[in-house]
Amino acid sequence: MEEPPRKEDVEYWRWQEYRRVFAEKKWRNKDVITAGIDVGSVGSKAVIMIDGEVYSWGIMRTGSNSPDSAKKVLSWAMEGTGLRLDDIKYIVGTGYGRVNVPMANKAITEIACHAKGANYIWGPSVRTVLDVGGQDIKAIRCDETGRVVSFLMNDKCAAGTGRGMEVFADLLKIPIEKIGEVSLNVAEEPPPVSCTCVAFAKTEAISLLRKGWSKEKVLAAYTHAMAIRMSNLVKRVGLEREFVITGGQSKNIGIVSRIEKILGVKCLPMPNWRENGLDPMVAGAIGAALFAKALYEKEHKN
Amino acid sequence: MKKPSEEKKYMLEMSTKEVEELMAAIRATSKKMTAEYIERMRKADKNRPKAMQYFDEIADFEKREKELLAAKQSGKKVVGYMCLFAPIELILAADAIPVRVNSGWYDASKLGDRVVPVEVCPMVRSTIGAKMIGLSPYLELSDALISGLTCDGMTKLSEILSDYKPIWAMAVPRLKDSAQSLDFWREEMKTLMKQIEALTGNKITRGKLKSAIELTQRATKAFRRLQDLRKGNPVIMGRDAMLVNQTYMWDDIKRWTEKTEALCDELEERARQRNWACPPDTPRVMVTGTPMIWPDNWKVPSIIEEANPQGVLVADELCSSERLLYDPVGVDEWTMDDMLNAIGERYLMASTCPCFTSDDGNKDRINWILNKVKEWKVNGVIYYVVRGCMLYAMEYMRVKKVLDHMSIPVYYLDTEYTREDVGPLKTRVEAFLEMLTARVDI
Repeated sequence: MEEPPRKEDVEYWRWQEYRRVFAEKKWRNKDVITAGIDVGSVGSKAVIMIDGEVYSWGIMRTGSNSPDSAKKVLSWAMEGTGLRLDDIKYIVGTGYGRVNVPMANKAITEIACHAKGANYIWGPSVRTVLDVGGQDIKAIRCDETGRVVSFLMNDKCAAGTGRGMEVFADLLKIPIEKIGEVSLNVAEEPPPVSCTCVAFAKTEAISLLRKGWSKEKVLAAYTHAMAIRMSNLVKRVGLEREFVITGGQSKNIGIVSRIEKILGVKCLPMPNWRENGLDPMVAGAIGAALFAKALYEKEHKN
Repeated sequence: MKKPSEEKKYMLEMSTKEVEELMAAIRATSKKMTAEYIERMRKADKNRPKAMQYFDEIADFEKREKELLAAKQSGKKVVGYMCLFAPIELILAADAIPVRVNSGWYDASKLGDRVVPVEVCPMVRSTIGAKMIGLSPYLELSDALISGLTCDGMTKLSEILSDYKPIWAMAVPRLKDSAQSLDFWREEMKTLMKQIEALTGNKITRGKLKSAIELTQRATKAFRRLQDLRKGNPVIMGRDAMLVNQTYMWDDIKRWTEKTEALCDELEERARQRNWACPPDTPRVMVTGTPMIWPDNWKVPSIIEEANPQGVLVADELCSSERLLYDPVGVDEWTMDDMLNAIGERYLMASTCPCFTSDDGNKDRINWILNKVKEWKVNGVIYYVVRGCMLYAMEYMRVKKVLDHMSIPVYYLDTEYTREDVGPLKTRVEAFLEMLTARVDI
């Protein structure tokens, strides 16, 4: 007898990979075409820029092999553009797998790249950047040129990161893209779960569900706890306006609105990224492509 | 039935076979790590000083282990110590051999977890683990251990090690700027002197103590010469200098001094030829915090000097390196009393251990850090703390405040006795170095 497909087989955590090309922009050989490749622990991003403007980009899940992920995501961003690897004048690799980007001319940390990218996306008024990645979070202070002034990073722990959100999407059977909205769907904000450690929070969530809490309420309690954790990192690095959030969680309205409430500041508004290419999720790759342009020009100055 | 004094209070439930297997495995890893780190240090500087060859050899514990064994067979005693408060001149004056026994083995710390919780400082856990399986030749060969009761970890470590070795504990006053502290400390030293004399059967005479002081004074002179050379453009990579300093903890002091002087001769020649160890515009980094003990705990200095962009360690404020030797014993009159006073002052008053406090925090350490930043032209400070190292962790804010005032960037780098966090540590260190270079670069 064939078993019916079990509900558990649906992968709620699985976020959508996507790509975009501004086909109306035409590239020519004399243009400074650069690329930034950000190989993160969860997602790999590639951005191609023409003379410092976003031309195309793509986001994919990082596989078990960093060089492969880097190659794949770059080819994806180049797909249908007529560009060949040789046309790209300079490539900067960033993210956790930055040293394993075979075609990169140079590696720069994601901390420098996110600050640079945020400065490009939102302009020179940005002073504090919170980057919520797949497995770590970083709070970065920068100057008006996007240079890092100081930073803090949590590591070795998925608490308060995109990975933690994936675990909860799975547990509560809510598609990951919906998780922010759903977490706001409560009449009153519940107290945060007592521990943001993903393993403990999961246990706590199960007992809250058994107690009769709704999915929404449990999710709100977890999101609340994560937002507190992220806000604390920002407070420790010293919050100075303007403040922005980059990385995957920048699109989680449940996280963003709670952080704004806790810190008492509004983030700069989400840009119209589908139209202008200023996608905060790929801020690191944008920064890397900008560094690539600066480095290329520096090398060819003479 | 066993007498209570013979009963081991912290024994591991392990069979002899298991102990032997663990020891063989950890020794093999340690050998590998030692060779690997030395190879990496060789690669870091294409013109690495030839005089480093000697320090590479002594860094492999086996050479010194054989010498100590031979010395013991000829009737000499070995006195181990765990903190810099052990006045080694007294050991030397009794014709015994001083050797520091703190453990830098990562794998051994996991054994320590079986006796104390993981919240305990990993250096302490590792030293316990090393003792449980007889890993450290210096710990094994020690006839007695001097334990400075500095931090909580060190204090309780000595209780645990007392299962195995005679422990001579020295209580360290937490306030040092007072007459009663110095008096108290002098009494501690006199007690220790008697203990050393009883163990060795040798009387510490005026003449012998004078020779011992002169021996460490010469070592200090050589050490200071090396440090002064690091004030200019980089003539030596920081890891090499750190290794030189650290081998002082177990090497023969006379030989160490000669080899260090020879190294300095070579470095002076190098400076004349403007043959730098790395580009002169490499960001100059200082590390301070928890001691970094060879061989395993060479992780952070290696990350800094192999980073992209690269950094160079020009100074440190660590009890495993530059704090070992900076201060000479300053004697006015070579009387017994005066020499003992001078030793007492050198070990107590000059110490910048974070176990001290005053009306203005641990001001000696803070002032010393500021002084180093200025004199060694430091661009950025990495404040290194292993989890469980309470004193350094708690002192951070004060240090950061004063460095902020000087516009010297400082980064708090917390880690563990593990090889697994190298990836994230590298990101943090590289971002910090990028920040330092960005002040001049892109």
